[in-house]
Amino acid sequence: MSHTPHTEGPETFADRVRAIPGGEHLEMCYSCGTCVSKCMIQQKVEPEYNPRRLLRMVMMDMQDEAFASPTTWLCSECDLCYPACPQEIHISGVIGAVKQLAVEAGYESPLEAVTVDEDKCSGCGICVMVCPYEAPHLIEKEVDGEMDTFSEVDADKCMGCGTCVAACPLGAVARPGVGNADIVKQIEVKRQPKGVPRLVTFVCDWCLRADDDVSLLESYPDNVRVIHIPCTGRIDPEMALMALRSGIDGVLVCGCAPGECHYKRGNYVSSCKISLLNTMLGQMNVGDGRVRFVQIGTQDRGRIRNEVDGMLRHLSMPQHLVAYKEAV
Amino acid sequence: MAKAKSKAQAKPKLALYWAASCGGCEISFVELGLRLIQASELVDIVFWPCIMDFKYGDVEAMKDGEITATFFNGAIRNSEGEHIAKLLRAKSQVLIAFGSCSHTGGIPGLANFYDKASIFERVYDTAPSVDEDSRGTYPKVETTVPEGVIEIPEFYDHVKTLAQTVDVDYFMPGCPPVVEQIWAVLQVLLAGQLPDQGAVIGADAKTNCDVCPREKGGSGQRVSEWKRPHEVELDPNKCFLTQGVICCGPATRAGCGLPCISGNMPCRGCYGPPDGVIDQGAKLMSAIGALVDTDEPEKLQEILDTIVDPAGLGYRFGLANSVLSELKYK
Repeated sequence: MSHTPHTEGPETFADRVRAIPGGEHLEMCYSCGTCVSKCMIQQKVEPEYNPRRLLRMVMMDMQDEAFASPTTWLCSECDLCYPACPQEIHISGVIGAVKQLAVEAGYESPLEAVTVDEDKCSGCGICVMVCPYEAPHLIEKEVDGEMDTFSEVDADKCMGCGTCVAACPLGAVARPGVGNADIVKQIEVKRQPKGVPRLVTFVCDWCLRADDDVSLLESYPDNVRVIHIPCTGRIDPEMALMALRSGIDGVLVCGCAPGECHYKRGNYVSSCKISLLNTMLGQMNVGDGRVRFVQIGTQDRGRIRNEVDGMLRHLSMPQHLVAYKEAV
Repeated sequence: MAKAKSKAQAKPKLALYWAASCGGCEISFVELGLRLIQASELVDIVFWPCIMDFKYGDVEAMKDGEITATFFNGAIRNSEGEHIAKLLRAKSQVLIAFGSCSHTGGIPGLANFYDKASIFERVYDTAPSVDEDSRGTYPKVETTVPEGVIEIPEFYDHVKTLAQTVDVDYFMPGCPPVVEQIWAVLQVLLAGQLPDQGAVIGADAKTNCDVCPREKGGSGQRVSEWKRPHEVELDPNKCFLTQGVICCGPATRAGCGLPCISGNMPCRGCYGPPDGVIDQGAKLMSAIGALVDTDEPEKLQEILDTIVDPAGLGYRFGLANSVLSELKYK
């Protein structure tokens, strides 16, 4: 099926969206709304978020409404909707085209972007390489008569996943309240009676789809500390080590299932980091399953309980049984 | 630090010592060359067993705080190192952990992957170079001979940094600290302008990337296979990470002047973690893990498997000072 480009008359908003790569499938939408039913943003953050409606706005030439719509800005290109769309429209591509026009028209993202502390930034470019949204880039700047390189973040592109914050070796990239020190401060679990393991659970804001899973986490007693992070890409192995160093018995990191990361690749990043950390703990003979990464799918309602309970059981097991279990 | 006020007044006294180290730190000091003669006019070297004939008794005979500053290189591997560390601590106004071994454990600290028993077994029993007749002959702290009892230092179970043994005033990183930094620190020391206690001296605050002239990575440039330096022909103008070679530069304090990187070899991390980083290896892996290419997620582990010995890489000079060591020996 091919769409029908306008060949006569003045250029419409829809024409301009179509002209941007990704926007060309606009016409194929017949407004079934399946995308909305798949969308985690609509369910968890913003009830007004609605890709179907945004696409209608474009087709109906409602430019200002489209530019001001939260849908334009909040889509993180997770593409959970893409396999569900009966018309196989790459919806995030269309939304991206609208966003590009909105930025050109002077609209700003409502999301709080990360900023770079130039007193700390070494200009290593790691944030540039790891960002799933191409938000950071390197700039040359004169400091005290000499040219120096710094990272700079394009606020309209930053989705706030924190992958760069965790990857930055100097803690130069951050957002107020979510710097490494802010998270490390939350790693605190009260002393427990003998035999009660202390666990820190980092949980990403998106992997628990069901409300009862979210409330379940709050219902654990105080030996389980739950720390919410935007994405598991935000995990820095140093945080896990700080937890273990403070006497906490285990660290559980919960992220989205493969292919379901809200920020495209944060769960892969996290899986790599935790795997490397576990290799290093193993090399030092202190790796006994104390740090674990689990990936919870959108269909895995109730699984978080099994994961937390399983981790607590593992941590309360005597060391010789841990060794036995790992050997067999 | 007291500044020499007049010629009649005694010159500041300097001591240099080596514990578990290779001697490279001493060589770096000697590399001062003619400047060493210049320095010897300003200071008295009262103890430097690697270069001149001093005895431990010379130090023991000194008053507490008599030495103005001690540059202590080497990690604490045995009871002798610990004894001298404590002795020099008492006799020195300023104690400087000089070089990677004393700062973060250095190469000797890699022994913390093992323990005393397995090291002894290898060195005195199973190593091919051990003479067949003496296999399994282990050193003992005390040995009785007809003339009496003789002693050798006790080998400890694991390697400690100087600061894990005694209070340290300043840390001067590097394997070895480069000669220009040594000269700069001597100037600061003699001028009585040392920073706050506990500071890292003779180095910068940021990382090597800050001064590295190589072309850095661009958006989305990630790595689908990690290679070791000898496995690839390295472009001398591009960031090692963009060439799939792990460089410790992003998690390593600047100050060395990039001798390795200028020689087209990636940074090995000897200058230790920069300001604000507690665990150098974990921090490096936080960056490396995020750089793994994820176009084919099922290949993640395969890609990670191309990183040979992550702990040895991330803690090449810092294992004794790492949180990993803390977890093992707490």
